[in-house]
Amino acid sequence: MSPRLAQAIDFIKARQNPDGGWGYEASRASLVEPSALSLLAILSGGDKAGTVRGLEFLKSCQKDSGAVGIGPKDPEGSWMAYAALLAFHALGAGREEQRLRDWILGFEDASGRFTKEEIAIVASRYRYDASIPGWSWTPRTTAWIEPTALFILALIRAGVPATEKRIRSGVDLIVDRRVPSGGWNFGNPYSKSFELEASTMSTALALTALGAAGVPESRPAIGAGLRYLHKSLDGDISTASLAWVSLALKSFPSGGPRVAGVTARLARLQMDDGGFRGNLFETALAYLVLSGASILSPVSGERR
Amino acid sequence: MIRRGWTRREFIRMAGTSVLSAWPAAALAGGGPQARPSVAGPLLQVALVPCSGYGPETLAAAIRAGWRSSRPPDLRGKRVVIKPNMVDVSPDRPIHTDPRLIEALVLHIGELGAREIVLAEGTSHNRDSEDLFRRAGYEALAKRRGIRLVDLNYDDVTPVRCVNPKATLLREIAVPRTIGTSEVLISVPKMKTHKLAGITLSMKNMFGILPGMVYGWPKNTLHWNGIPLSICEINGTVKTHYSIVDGVVGMEGHGPIMGTARKVGVLIMGDNALAVDATAARVMGIEPGRVDYLAMAHRLRLGSLRPDDIGVAGEPVDRVRTDFVLDPEYAHLRASRGRG
Repeated sequence: MSPRLAQAIDFIKARQNPDGGWGYEASRASLVEPSALSLLAILSGGDKAGTVRGLEFLKSCQKDSGAVGIGPKDPEGSWMAYAALLAFHALGAGREEQRLRDWILGFEDASGRFTKEEIAIVASRYRYDASIPGWSWTPRTTAWIEPTALFILALIRAGVPATEKRIRSGVDLIVDRRVPSGGWNFGNPYSKSFELEASTMSTALALTALGAAGVPESRPAIGAGLRYLHKSLDGDISTASLAWVSLALKSFPSGGPRVAGVTARLARLQMDDGGFRGNLFETALAYLVLSGASILSPVSGERR
Repeated sequence: MIRRGWTRREFIRMAGTSVLSAWPAAALAGGGPQARPSVAGPLLQVALVPCSGYGPETLAAAIRAGWRSSRPPDLRGKRVVIKPNMVDVSPDRPIHTDPRLIEALVLHIGELGAREIVLAEGTSHNRDSEDLFRRAGYEALAKRRGIRLVDLNYDDVTPVRCVNPKATLLREIAVPRTIGTSEVLISVPKMKTHKLAGITLSMKNMFGILPGMVYGWPKNTLHWNGIPLSICEINGTVKTHYSIVDGVVGMEGHGPIMGTARKVGVLIMGDNALAVDATAARVMGIEPGRVDYLAMAHRLRLGSLRPDDIGVAGEPVDRVRTDFVLDPEYAHLRASRGRG
């Protein structure tokens, strides 16, 4: 590990809360996403012993149903469960992982709540198929691109085969919601007659998930999405988006040549204190990307 | 995303409790009764001031004039939070509150002795707030003026029971610490049409205080709760102490993102968000009583939209009325001419 990368781990460790978790920033309430990513970074840095208290915090966030919400007091599960699944898997918390995986695979979005009339209205107004199950930010609401992508990625990294029915449905949802001119936004390709614009983070997450699920680059949605990302790289990109862009490019053969440039750009955003913008989630994510940690990075044979 | 409108059952359920007692103005942010000011004259006071552009002197003069002729909060020694509207950012369309207006307001607030000024927003569609804050010009503004810029989507939250919990699917609201600990909350929306709500002004702007990490992006839980109901519940629970509508250049047509720029050249200011919104709606050529959430807010006594209850200082509404192009779905909102 390079001294600079080691500084990121030091930054994270120094900001652990007394309850074992991490907030998005120092001295903020512990939440599942920054805690899980921080644990993955520490583990990836080779310090499994340093993950004990954090894992206990994550376990305290799991409900009897197996669900994980945003924190220990959240009455039900929600999108941050993706990060908990990655952490439970990587840290060998098998029982918690199994229960959470079952909950995620049984996650109820709104696709089953829409009437035929509502599905027709959505198809007319937003031009997507609202009957396709995916994942929403919170249970029983509309599925969107980013939570669907995050759950697909986490499930596959946790060993669930890409042929699993919910994952295939999630892939269908992502492909269905693509913006015609390339890329993805939060999940509405159109609003009436207006094509809505894609965004970098949504596109990078969608491509990362599709890559993990083995969707080949020959699919038009992938090629158009990659072209959108290449164009985005000409402009300013946020820290988190750069990290996801790096993973997205790594997921497909034509993205490969640009990965080194993107990771170098990401590395330059590290601050003198070792962190990235003072944000624990972003610091952990950047560390995992820059160190090529296998929990997030594409694995051999994934590309098609 | 689908609109879950204000159903008859929802309204009846709400009406069953609200007819007995109106909601208090707010449960948070120094809330207190706001319906009956002690001064004589109209129930509510709104300033409608001309503002021809975003030049710093023009803005400063307009803000000062509007502030003087409305009923502004006392800011001395207070922690003030400014909530702009930034559902997204585009170089081609005026989606977000212009940063030059925010900067002029920051300077004004500073002159009035505020202890601390915070600029806070929880973006609704695109959760990449680092990118949006930068492209909106808010990051540079915050740095230039030495104020804190807070992403409300990931702020620590405190659950606050809705003022009227029986009427809602949202039994409680997760209020960001930045909002909950503010002593003065100023909403600074853009004057825009809205594809799901008809129009978006100060009350609708409060969707953005709710954290995405709890409610998702877009704040979809609120859509499922019903947009009018959610707007009223947020505004009934968290008090907005002052509103300034950016009507220098607004957005008409398919807002709040895909519409087109429409120059009006005004700021609309006041301490009651409903009265400000009603006045802004009239400026846009819209009958406020036909906007679901404004009508609901009026019934819930979150203020008033009746012209007789609102004293408008500055320009007469008819003189600056600029009929915004409306999506055909909202053509019924159009006010007839000759109404103030």
